[in-house]
Amino acid sequence: MATLFRFWASARQVLPKHFTRTLSSAPSSSLTHTEKKEPKESEITSITVDAKDDITSLSGVPEEHIKTRMVRICVPARNPMQSGTFNTKNWRIEFETRERWENPLMGWTSTADPLSNMIVNFSSKEAAVEFCEKNGWEYYVEEEKAPVFKKKSYGANFSWNKKTRVSTK
Amino acid sequence: MASSRVAVVGSKQVKPILSANKTEAKRRVLNLYKAWYRHLPYMGLLKDLQLQSRVTWLSFVLNTVKDFDIAVTVPETKVKLRELFLKNKHVTDIRAIDLLVIKGQMDLVETMRIWKQKTHVMMFFKDTNIKKPTEFLTRFYEGHD
Repeated sequence: MATLFRFWASARQVLPKHFTRTLSSAPSSSLTHTEKKEPKESEITSITVDAKDDITSLSGVPEEHIKTRMVRICVPARNPMQSGTFNTKNWRIEFETRERWENPLMGWTSTADPLSNMIVNFSSKEAAVEFCEKNGWEYYVEEEKAPVFKKKSYGANFSWNKKTRVSTK
Repeated sequence: MASSRVAVVGSKQVKPILSANKTEAKRRVLNLYKAWYRHLPYMGLLKDLQLQSRVTWLSFVLNTVKDFDIAVTVPETKVKLRELFLKNKHVTDIRAIDLLVIKGQMDLVETMRIWKQKTHVMMFFKDTNIKKPTEFLTRFYEGHD
């Protein structure tokens, strides 16, 4: 076998190119076969993949917490007291509540849900949606409600047709 | 509360992790599978030679020294290996396949070097999506609803 190979190798140097090609049974349609230059694997800098990312098989999250969870995407409500509105600037995701129970000794609340207190903030709704899509979670979006500003003036109370309090005279 | 799902279609150009095409990715997967397959006999319990492996010198001669004292036979590990590989057969993203191969390779090295312990190996055999009991008594035995 080794001698055969040596013969073949030497023949390859000696014989014309097209002849050795037929010997090595490479597919050649014609004698003037030109080699198509394919890029080396290390030279390839970009590949084409599906636009939709899916990291469910990579993330290591147990199947139970991928298939059975529902995510709520919303903007948190403004603090009703005199604080600012800064906490309403972000979108956030939160998971549906799972079973909680009370510790019989201390009365502490316990849960077996690893995602129960996980709240993630996003700068936009789209970013939150994309994150859920990527992780394979079911989700729903609670649309933001813009506050309606009502004009009120003290003088309107004395007007015949602009009364703000209509229930009592 | 309208449940919505944005259908992202089409494709995009990204930087590859290891493989440049599907064929190469497939080759890597098969190589990993073969490497695992070859290692399986050294991992757990070999049923017919179980008695012999107790005798240390003979087991060295027969090359049946086991890394882990786990109650899993070689045919069972083969079935599990196949199952774990087929679990990800829906993955089409070349980058995801590459990452899975890298993770599988890391697992293999950790198993071979015995950086993993018995429990870590047995984690492969644990089902993560456990069905919750529905009957009253079984739910009661479970502890919580």
